[in-house]
Amino acid sequence: MRLKGPIAAAVGLSILGMGLSACSSGSPSPSGSAGINSTTPVTLTVLSPTVVEKPESVVEKGYADAYMKLHPNVKVEFVGVPMNDAYAKISTLATGGNMPDIFVNSPEFSSQANQLGIVADMTALLGSDFMSGFAKAPLAQATLDGKVQFAPFFTIPTGLLYRADLFAAAGLTPPKTWDEFEADAKTLTVDVNKDGKTDRWGFAMVGTNNGSGGSRFIPVMRTFGAQELVKDGTGWKTSFNTPEAVAAFKLYGDLVNKDGAVPPGPLQTGYAEATTEMATDKTAMMITGPHTIGAILAQNPALKGKFASAPLPAATGHNPVSVLGMLGWSISQDSKNKDVAADYIKFILNKENQIAWNLTTGRLPARTDALEDPQIARPELKGFIAAQDYAFTLPNVTYYPDLQVIAANAYQGVIQKKMTPEQAAASAAAKTETDIANNK
Amino acid sequence: MARSSKVAASQQRAGLGFVSPSVLVLLALVVYPLFYGFYISMFKTNLRNMWNFVGLKYFVQALSDSDFIHTISVTLLFAVLVVAGNLLLGTALALLLNTNIRFRVVLRAILILPWLFPDVVVAILFKWIYDPLYGLLNFALTSVHLIDHPIVWFGDSNLAFSAVVLSCIWKGYPLVMILVLAGLQSIPKDRYEAAQLDGAGLANQFRYVTFPGLVPVLAVSVILDFVWWFKHFTIVWLMTAGGPIDATKVVSIDIYRIAFTNFDFGRAAALAVIVFFICLAFSIVYRRLVRDTEV
Repeated sequence: MRLKGPIAAAVGLSILGMGLSACSSGSPSPSGSAGINSTTPVTLTVLSPTVVEKPESVVEKGYADAYMKLHPNVKVEFVGVPMNDAYAKISTLATGGNMPDIFVNSPEFSSQANQLGIVADMTALLGSDFMSGFAKAPLAQATLDGKVQFAPFFTIPTGLLYRADLFAAAGLTPPKTWDEFEADAKTLTVDVNKDGKTDRWGFAMVGTNNGSGGSRFIPVMRTFGAQELVKDGTGWKTSFNTPEAVAAFKLYGDLVNKDGAVPPGPLQTGYAEATTEMATDKTAMMITGPHTIGAILAQNPALKGKFASAPLPAATGHNPVSVLGMLGWSISQDSKNKDVAADYIKFILNKENQIAWNLTTGRLPARTDALEDPQIARPELKGFIAAQDYAFTLPNVTYYPDLQVIAANAYQGVIQKKMTPEQAAASAAAKTETDIANNK
Repeated sequence: MARSSKVAASQQRAGLGFVSPSVLVLLALVVYPLFYGFYISMFKTNLRNMWNFVGLKYFVQALSDSDFIHTISVTLLFAVLVVAGNLLLGTALALLLNTNIRFRVVLRAILILPWLFPDVVVAILFKWIYDPLYGLLNFALTSVHLIDHPIVWFGDSNLAFSAVVLSCIWKGYPLVMILVLAGLQSIPKDRYEAAQLDGAGLANQFRYVTFPGLVPVLAVSVILDFVWWFKHFTIVWLMTAGGPIDATKVVSIDIYRIAFTNFDFGRAAALAVIVFFICLAFSIVYRRLVRDTEV
């Protein structure tokens, strides 16, 4: 039976079809490029992780609705992706040539986004005047190789969130050292209903082996004086394998195994679970950002007014450390609606919208006019605002998210007593050095 | 003669016409991704604007990396345990459903349900069942005083591994059950009658009639099931993300992390190619070991 000719033709057609599809830069936009004041219908796609969270989604969708009322020809469509999956989603969309018009960006991801060439010229689109309205630290961390990678949207500086009422009842003040923190955590671990079982613990530890856990551990480790990655004259180096890092791993292990100050199951307690522990009065402290206040109150409004914040404690002789935890908006290089996208970003970053965002979610504005408004300096946010002064700039490497997972795996080993703190530190250092070598 | 060759040619064209859509879909969805994966594995690439040729570097790196070998061994153990569990439970339930029990139809519908749940739903359900503070399992065990303190199911490597395996067995047994049930119903009844006449009890009937009749079905089930669970990602990722400390890190999680946390797509593709060859080798070896006997 002679099949070669027809089969070959079928293969050739399929490869041709695949080649054509590979060449295309993604699905065509239903609208052509249209200016801000045009009547041409424009669909603006926005990839956002905050639109899937409560209470952020209410505010963010409100922005879109308000903008669409002002510009009836514009339709804003959200692509909601949880934060832990956002970078994978963006990378996939980028390689498929299917980028949204606007996408979330951050200091952790900006290196990768820059390398992929998916970020448009933000300064040209937003204008230098608008750029000068950002707070210095967020704008500096949004800039890579002299190019602004994204318009900062908010910061959620890492600090210590604690129950001010429980502290007052126990006669405690916010801890300034990790020894004080451990002591406070033990004091606040109590049997509330006197049934012989602990039902409130001192510390809600996010112990999962992902970015949520690792991004909280790394600032803690830095308060001891160790750094996950630092650049010297010869390139990137890690100090995971130092006595300072060992002390940080030991702290995590002791909080769980020696002090009993953490609820059962820290290794499966992610951000959502830890927030629920705070909301259900199971824990008294949490290392997190100001956004957690909004998430807690969304679950339990009765806790309103009972929280306060402080910069992270530090090892003796060291300063607190924080991460800005900043997210911002980038306009896609492939977007056919860059002007409209820029206008939308300016709209959601205006002073009124930034203040509204903060009042509902607790996330701090990145614009100076909003930051200076008295409504922002609420008692529960004072500690987080102070923590911003201790924020460090994340190393600009594409594999930074993996370092957070490496740190998380290591502290899990200590908590599970499968590794000593020394072994955990050595393991983290070895894996980090592999990442450094693989990316030279 | 000329007329018969014309008819044959016409039939050939008709046959080609019928298979062409399937061939095209196979080429697009199976052959092309396979070859593209091979291609990517030879580059350090971000799949967009960076393509640095590295040849077989990632393959050599993976096969000489003790972490990767450990991951493969964890994955093998995971797949073997889940497949064994599916086989035992699926076969046992299929044998039960093949008898004349009451409410057999309803029971069959209920027993298939786990397979109908999406993997994401199964993972989230079991994650909450195993939750140390709020989980149903600890609540049940504490209520009957089997435990005094909540068990942290994902806090211990062995417990976490077992918990994930059991969840996957719950999800996976219905497929084996359905395949085996179909196999059982294709075994001629006269063989059982002949065995009974020869004085064979239930155990011998299973050994000499049922099992040989099921061998072809079991062979297919084991191959399909093994390949499916060796490559499995969703349930393990959502329940433990490969933790604690890599105790449940199956190779698909490794590949996902390398691709989407490290953004090292070439290296991830190389590991995926290695997984492909492992699955291919297993199916070839297993088919040769199991003889498709005529009963």
